[in-house]
Amino acid sequence: MATHTAEPAAGGEAAVEHLTLEDRVWLLRAMLMMRGLEERAMTLYRQGKVPGSFYDGYGQEAVSAGAAFAMGPQDRLCILHRDLAAHLIRGVSPARILAQYMGRAAGITRGRDGNVHFGDRHLGCVGMVSMLPDMMLVATGMAMAFKLRGEARCAMTWFGDGSTSRGDFHEAMNWAGVQKLPVIFVLENNQYAYSTPVDKQYAVDPVERAAAYGFVGVTVDGNDAEAMFEAVHAARERALNGDGPTLIEAVTMRMHGHAAHDDMKYVPKEQVEEWRKRDPIERQENRLRVLGVDIDSLRASIKAEIDAAAEEALAGPMPDPSSAVEGVFCEGEAEPLGDGQAPWSGFGAA
Amino acid sequence: MSSSPTDVLVDVTMPQMGVSVAEGTVVAWRVEVGDSIEADATIAEISTDKIDTEVPSPASGVVTEILVPVESTVSVGTVMARIAATGASQPQSLDGEPAGQTRTETPIPSLPRAGNGHRRYSPVVQRIAAEHGVDLEQVSGTGRGGRVRKQDVLAFMESAPVEEPPLHIESPYRPDPVAPVVDGGLSRMRRQIGQHMKRSLEVTATCTTWIEVDMSRVEAARTRVGVTGLSFVARACIDALREHPALNAWLDGETYTRLSDVNLGIAVSLGDDGLIVPVVQRAHELSVEGLAARIRDVARRARARELTPDDVQGGTFTITNPGQYGSIMATPIINLPQVAILDFEAVIKRAVVVTDADGNDSIAIRPMTILGLSWDHRALDGALAAQFLATVKRLLESVS
Amino acid sequence: MPTLTYLQAISSALRDELRADPRVLLMGEDIGVFGGAFKVTDGFVDEFGTDRVMDTPLAESGIIGTAIGAAVVGMRPVCEMQFSDFISCGFDQLVNVAGKMHYRQGLAVPITVRLPSGGGFSGGPFHSQNPEAWFMHSPGIKVVAPSTASDAKGLLHAAIHDPNPVCYMEHKHLYRRVKGEVPSGVFETPFTARVAQPGSDLVVIAYGAMVSVAMEAVSDGLDGASVEVLDLRSLVPLDEEAILDSVERCSKVVIIDEANSTCAAGAQVAALIAEKGFESLDGPVVRVATPDVPIPFSPPLEAAVLPGVERVREACRELLAY
Repeated sequence: MATHTAEPAAGGEAAVEHLTLEDRVWLLRAMLMMRGLEERAMTLYRQGKVPGSFYDGYGQEAVSAGAAFAMGPQDRLCILHRDLAAHLIRGVSPARILAQYMGRAAGITRGRDGNVHFGDRHLGCVGMVSMLPDMMLVATGMAMAFKLRGEARCAMTWFGDGSTSRGDFHEAMNWAGVQKLPVIFVLENNQYAYSTPVDKQYAVDPVERAAAYGFVGVTVDGNDAEAMFEAVHAARERALNGDGPTLIEAVTMRMHGHAAHDDMKYVPKEQVEEWRKRDPIERQENRLRVLGVDIDSLRASIKAEIDAAAEEALAGPMPDPSSAVEGVFCEGEAEPLGDGQAPWSGFGAA
Repeated sequence: MSSSPTDVLVDVTMPQMGVSVAEGTVVAWRVEVGDSIEADATIAEISTDKIDTEVPSPASGVVTEILVPVESTVSVGTVMARIAATGASQPQSLDGEPAGQTRTETPIPSLPRAGNGHRRYSPVVQRIAAEHGVDLEQVSGTGRGGRVRKQDVLAFMESAPVEEPPLHIESPYRPDPVAPVVDGGLSRMRRQIGQHMKRSLEVTATCTTWIEVDMSRVEAARTRVGVTGLSFVARACIDALREHPALNAWLDGETYTRLSDVNLGIAVSLGDDGLIVPVVQRAHELSVEGLAARIRDVARRARARELTPDDVQGGTFTITNPGQYGSIMATPIINLPQVAILDFEAVIKRAVVVTDADGNDSIAIRPMTILGLSWDHRALDGALAAQFLATVKRLLESVS
Repeated sequence: MPTLTYLQAISSALRDELRADPRVLLMGEDIGVFGGAFKVTDGFVDEFGTDRVMDTPLAESGIIGTAIGAAVVGMRPVCEMQFSDFISCGFDQLVNVAGKMHYRQGLAVPITVRLPSGGGFSGGPFHSQNPEAWFMHSPGIKVVAPSTASDAKGLLHAAIHDPNPVCYMEHKHLYRRVKGEVPSGVFETPFTARVAQPGSDLVVIAYGAMVSVAMEAVSDGLDGASVEVLDLRSLVPLDEEAILDSVERCSKVVIIDEANSTCAAGAQVAALIAEKGFESLDGPVVRVATPDVPIPFSPPLEAAVLPGVERVREACRELLAY
């Protein structure tokens, strides 16, 4: 149960460890799309088209992109609010994401919940709640079902440094450990829970708590998408082998405020500057540029996709007010979560 | 620099930077009136309780107005500037386009009228009394403090001496018991009714024709079926309107329209407050029992002030039935823009001459009523009015 | 038809479900090897194994949360809170994750939460509660409360088959005191009210353990009056039609709540009657409820607060005379 830090891949090879070149470009695509969509949504927010609050994962894109990329189609995810790339990798369309932010009828929740509180059930994702980390228990429960039924699948969830202080973190860790469940807990340590820095949050680095609950904890560079992938891939193998859960602490930095209305004055400028140098997208671009990938063309195609998505989302109607009281109960059969996309070459995807 | 007529004016509004933020202050404008700007380019800088930030332009075009000066604080949503948007980029407002229907509002429940006088009656006691014409002052109460309980009303009805009432006591024209009004002046409703009546007399050429009807078969049928005589009269009118469609029409100035549906208005008294004519829509589709139920329903809702606009529109013919007090004839006023109205007064036992199959005359006691039809001579003649009444008489006297 | 106790009826339902549906999973503290604090699952492990009759860690939030996870990947978990009182430790998962999931995400959460409720045996403040009102108030959660052995089985089958989260309020006081004929095999009782005893002068509306209190209170006819007893059985959905029908016929209403009075289920029923049944009323809507106090431990104190036969009888007498 020793912790170790995953090493970033040595530069210069097209395929590394478990990733082909296409895979590595996919990771960059997902991160660029996440950042681009969030920037577009932020503009829409400032133009008054996104109601409520707006949250993004600027600077943390690798944590969700790398981790989600290692998940198979039958695996199940509980995705959090700074993990938009995970939704993209599973197959949610950018237009629906923007519609979701704007509270339109075409959004994944059809206006019933806002910003990143969504999960496309047809793609195997459970929509988060605001009480964090409630979803850790849901992921644990999904893993429990997989184990009871003897299925080769796992569940994964993300949560932040702040939520490790709540009871549900401990109940989930304990339950997963005592029942040795195929679940992956990704702790996004982005140094701050709103304005609370980690040294006010816990007395020990939470990755060490994995040992207390009887399983492996690893620390990973959260700004390296490929390192994230490798760590989650290894955790998934562990889970499928029946060796139980893994806690992965992804070390990263929240580069924007807690939400769009927070200017993060409480974060020392030097800290922000230090982390800017480690931007995950820049890092991945540098790796791929060396391998001859046309970054500019990639960026351009993503921008075009986002423009088209914004146009589509803006053209869509708001939900019908009379539908506000519908759908509280399921009236028909309960449908379990469906399978998501899994573009990693290791899953045999085209 | 004028904006072309094809441009759309787009508002630049103060955004809401956070759920609890209610206002913002303009720190700087990056444009002046007349400047061009691209969509998403920064148009202004603002400051709020939570954060200072830039506002991106919602559209490409030319700035036509700047409404909020620097250092002014305005509420979220306030229009700060306007842009004449050029070309195809017509951005949507936050509300976009609603998918369809307007919001359905929850109807406000209306309250039934409370009993008046020194005794208080519970809702169910009043309802039973109203439905059966019981005078609650006559009922002794066995409840707390002598209050009248439901059981007391029911017991009173069972043991009440049979007083011979006029034959038709269930008329929607019958008003609720109300305390006498002692102050003067006409209520608004009274004045409106007055205006409507006066206008009718001014505009129409009103005549009235009467006919006597032997109601014995109706009396027998109504006790058997358990409905009011009015329901039979209503059904007969509907059938007669089919035979004489000229009376189921609207005349508005010179515009005369015959209608295929019979939407039957029934005059309901609201006591001193006046009267109202709710409409049984598509009455031609209803049987005698159906008419009875609908008349009862609209009368109840009229007295409870629960009518909707649909309930009082679209009437093609009206019946007024004030028979409770024993009056036998009247000259009703036509309910514009209809062309006729039927008055159904009391049914009184009379001695009449009846002729048997062999042609022999004798005197019999029959329940008789006089139906009066006021009709508009601009739309029809007396002969047609008489024919209509004859048809109604024939139908009522042949009820099985 | 066999005669079973209320508790045996619950066991029967669980056993039949485990046999009929491989997706069904029981989860709770001490329910497996020990057979349950009240022995509802006594012997189950021998037939179904420890995987399907799971002894969980002591973690109510964990039980409900993991049940939700299992449910959305195709299982039918039936969780038990050892005492309904402990649902407060799992409140967040039940109300915020389970209750709201379908509305927000279109994702059904077919879990059943068994909640052994109620007092009358010196359980004290933490083992005697009737918390159903908290969940009537939370959108997306159904709530049922059987009072007879047959309904205990039928409502539990229906709850497990329902694709939504259902709180099943089983009353501890009734476990061994109520017996009745119970059909064998899997059958469903609908989420509607039941006229336990028809009448015309007054209706007593109750659910759970209070139905027997009502029946006993009116059993001697109350000076010749004809008193109806309406067993609500289902709190969400609430059977408005049945309630208003009883009110229309009887015109006088006494509502009993064993739960604390303020905002109890009976308060909702009273509001419904005042709004929609006003014209049928021949007297005020009377409530007999436990006052707003934690349920005390010492027997005379507990008896003073829980609605008993005499209190109900007195309320009926007064209202009949009104």
